[in-house]
Order: sequence, then structure tokens, then C-alpha cells
Amino acid sequence: MNTQISTKSSRSPVSRLLHTLFGNWDRTQLSISFILVGLMAISPLFVRSPYYMGIIILACLYSFIGISWNIVSGFSGQLLIAHIIFLALGGYTTIVLLNTFRVMPWVGILLGGVVAALAGWVIALITLRYGLKMDYFALFTIALLVALRTLFLKWDFVGGAVGMYIRLAEPSVAKMIFATKPPYLYIALTLLVAGILIQYQIYRSKMGKYFIAIREDEAAAAALGVNTSRYKTIAVLIGAALAGVGGGFYVMYVTFIDPTGLFNLGINVEMVMAGPIIGGLGSLLGPILGALVNKPIAELVRGTLAEGRSGISLIVYGVFLITSIIVLPRGLAGLFHNLYLRLYRPSQDIE
Amino acid sequence: MALLEVQNITKRFGGLVAVRELSLTINQGQIVALIGPNGAGKTTAFNIIAGYYKADGGKVIFNGREITNLRPDQICGLGLARTFQVVRPFGGISVLDNVMVGAYAHTSDAKIAKAKAEEVLESLGLQRMANQMAKGLPIAIRKRLEIARAVATDPQMILLDEAMAGLRPTEAEEVIGMVRKLSENGIAILLVEHVMKVVMSLAERIIVLHHGETIAEGEPAEVVKNKQCIEAYLGEANNVGS
Repeated sequence: MNTQISTKSSRSPVSRLLHTLFGNWDRTQLSISFILVGLMAISPLFVRSPYYMGIIILACLYSFIGISWNIVSGFSGQLLIAHIIFLALGGYTTIVLLNTFRVMPWVGILLGGVVAALAGWVIALITLRYGLKMDYFALFTIALLVALRTLFLKWDFVGGAVGMYIRLAEPSVAKMIFATKPPYLYIALTLLVAGILIQYQIYRSKMGKYFIAIREDEAAAAALGVNTSRYKTIAVLIGAALAGVGGGFYVMYVTFIDPTGLFNLGINVEMVMAGPIIGGLGSLLGPILGALVNKPIAELVRGTLAEGRSGISLIVYGVFLITSIIVLPRGLAGLFHNLYLRLYRPSQDIE
Repeated sequence: MALLEVQNITKRFGGLVAVRELSLTINQGQIVALIGPNGAGKTTAFNIIAGYYKADGGKVIFNGREITNLRPDQICGLGLARTFQVVRPFGGISVLDNVMVGAYAHTSDAKIAKAKAEEVLESLGLQRMANQMAKGLPIAIRKRLEIARAVATDPQMILLDEAMAGLRPTEAEEVIGMVRKLSENGIAILLVEHVMKVVMSLAERIIVLHHGETIAEGEPAEVVKNKQCIEAYLGEANNVGS
């Protein structure tokens, strides 16, 4: 593979294709992402068990959610710890629109994204107005999560503490209710493909460079003409909108939402943060690689240890997360990147 | 007409007056040095001009337009760039990407920004480092990168805050060459510098600050003869042994 990639000038269509797909690390990450998407897309051919199918669907959704967080916290470096707020708001929007106003979930999910984006905009406005950065920004989002949980627990219109269910009816495409798992998988995959492309476009554009400049050094970025307030707001808006859409789909898939389930920092770690951190925060591939490792392991730990003393599974999962951070500070994507450089760099030198 | 006109700017930190009624003018392509002992208010003056501090009084006019208390990014957009005394490279990305951030100041097109960044790197002799991470670079290169990023924003004027501090003489010589070249290309330079050799060889005019006030101003040869100036700055510096 090594030599094939290196021979830029060779006329063989195979090597030209390899160069297009793997010619630089960014493109390589994109290609690997799509290979993983492809594997998930054909997984129903091999995976018969609905239980395992469910894990793949959620791994796919977690990848998408991980991307939404990666854009805010990985690229622009804003510690949006309680990102799950946007998932919850997107989920609630979708289910309220469906149950109360009979709005098709296909539309509801998108409106969930809009509501989440609005919330993101308000968060950005407030934190910028009061100059909340880094840990203060993180704490503000956590405080907001707690406040919103309390509000939703008391708010009868959205079901209060009981939450809301989707009334299961006959399977119907319009209502996004399916008797089998694969349709859900393909919806999740569609979201993921959109997420991968959006993330890649941002990363390669002026916007992405500006996000990263802000992450690396905000004052220096401003000196180079970056309107830091504007770009920080945009990052939160995009991340929130995507997470809101993801939350909408999540609720349609699990058919249920309640305040303690989603306005929940523990779940936030598993659904939002673990994937990108294990996979490599700030990289293109990280959220996907991470989710594909994180979700099955979280599920395995829960499945095998949940019967014993309660809490053991969480301890084991916690140890796993800590270990992965210590062993791979740049995540799996960092490991892959080193591997890629080892394969690729010598061949560049020959040229 | 003067390119940069600073009129009576004042900055207080609590009871301390860091800069008192400072005025200065700089013409296009001119190199002016701001010198003075530690704590004289040089960097504070920079930070006011570049929009990092709000002035407690006075005005800054750039290119005929008042820029007092505009945001740093707006000031950069108008063609007044700066570097930092303690260099602040974007460590996690490559040298080229660092310079591209600057090059995006006047375009949104990635190809144009990349070409511009490559051109700047080439002109400042950094092209060989283009793909290296900024984090691991030696200080001399990081100082030059700091200037390269500022140049990439297409400025009419650059504020250089101790761009040569901490460099070996040969390295400083290279940076002096860079600064001269920028000035020949019509970019005005206001520099803060401690190394008198640098100041004497580069500056057309020197402004001496002490306790936030201008105590002397003029051509290098005049200023070094100024008694007040020798007492305040050069005398002290000589005693310290630099």
C-alpha cells in the first residue's frame, strides 16, 4: 500500500484512486469514516439479533452526536460540558410536536434542531456577555442543565417527571415507526453521513481554521482578525443544531423521553463525551472511532455486570474511560495518525 | 498625512497611571521605536492601540479613521497588525495553518489563503517549516512565525513587541533583515525593543517612555545624547550590564 500511495506520477488508476482517498491525513480520515459507514450499512446482512442491531444503531447515532460536540469543544475549544441539553431540547420538541400538534417527526426532528440552535444562541450570548470562558463556561452549561431538568420535572405540558411516550401505532413511514430495526439504522446513517460531510467542510474552510485558532489562543486569533465572539457563537449554534436533530431521532427510536434521562450528566458522558475523547477530540475521525468502541463497551459492561452489586458496571466503565485517556491522550485517531505518518512519510522523502 | 496618530492616550490601572497623555505619529513605511525601562508603559501603549485595552482618555487615529476602543479583530481588519511579546503560536496546528489564519483576514477562499500564506512563508524564509507543528519549534522560528502571521493579514502597519528579545545575535540579525524588508515594502513599523543595537540600526525615530510619559523623542543619534533619557533608560541598562 505504501509504495502505491507514494507514486503520484504513476498512471495506474488504482494508485490514482488510492491517492485521492488517502493522499493526505484529512482525506484519509474522511475515507475511513465512509468505510465505517459502509460497514454499518451492510451490517443487517450479518447481524440478525435486534439487540446487536440496536447497539449498532446507537453507535451510529453516538457518532453523529459526537461530531456535533466535536465541532464545539474539539474545534473551537469551548468546554460545552452539558451538550446533552441540546439533545434533550431536540427530543422534547420532536415528541411534543408529534403528540400534541400531530407534526410528522421528519419535520419535528428538524425543528428540534432549530430549537436547540436557538438555545445554543442564547447560551453563547449570555456567556459572551459575561465573559465566561473555559471552566466557567463549562460550569454555566452544567448549571443550566440542572435548572432545565428542574423546570421540565415541574412542567406538566411536557409530561413532568413521568415524561412523554410515543403512542405506538401501526408501523408507518410518515410517523417514523418501524417494526424492524434496519430502517432506524438507515436514518441514523443518513444523519451520520451528513454529519461527517458538514464536519469535514467546516474543518477545511476558513470557519474551521478560525475555530481552531480560537481554541489554541483566543487573544492571538483576535490579533489576526478573527471576530472571536462571532465565531464562538457560530460553533455553538452548529453543534447545538446537530445535537438537537440527533436528540429528535433518539427519542423517535427509543419512543420515550423524561427529564432525568436526558438532562443527566452521567448519560451525557456516555452519549456525548466518551466517544470523541476515546477517539480523539478535535480530529475528524475521533467521534466515529470513539463511538464504535465506546457504545459496545458501555453495553457489554452493563450487560455483564449490571446483575451484581449496582454501580459496579459504572466503576468498570469509569476505569475504562480513565485508562483510555491516560494511554491515548490524542485518542484512537492520534494512534492512527502516527501509523499513517509512518506508512506515508518515508515515501514522500523518496520524491 | 500620518498613517497612525496617537493623541494623548492615558491608561490607568487602579491608582497607577501606566500611560499618561502619550502622543505619537508614524508615517507610511516608517520604522519608529518605542523604548524605555521595564514598566514604562510600552506594552500598555501597544495594547491600547491594538484594541486590547480600553483607553481612559485620548484618541487613536489610523489612516484617517478613529480606531480608539475598536475590537482587536476590527483593527487588524483595517490594516494594523500586532505581534505579542511572549509569542503565541497556535501550537496544535502546522506553521502553514498558523499563517493561513492571518491570510484569511481578507478572503474566505481556502486556495487564496493558502497561496498567500505560502508566499509570506517564502518571503520570510520559513517555507521549509511549513508542515511542522508550531508547538515544537525553537524560539527563533516562533518569533519569525509571529511576524509571518501578522504579515499575512496584509497590514499597512505592524506593532512589533520585542520581536528580537531572547534571540542570539545572528538570529536577531535575521529578524532585523525581515523588518527592514517589510519597511521597504511600505509597511510601517512601531517596535518595542530592549536591545539598543537593534533600535539604533533600525529606527528612524525613537520615542522614550518613562513612567508612562514621553521624556524624549527624535532621531536615534539625538536621543542617545539626551541626558534625561540616559538617566532613565540607558544608564540603568548599562548598569545592569546589557
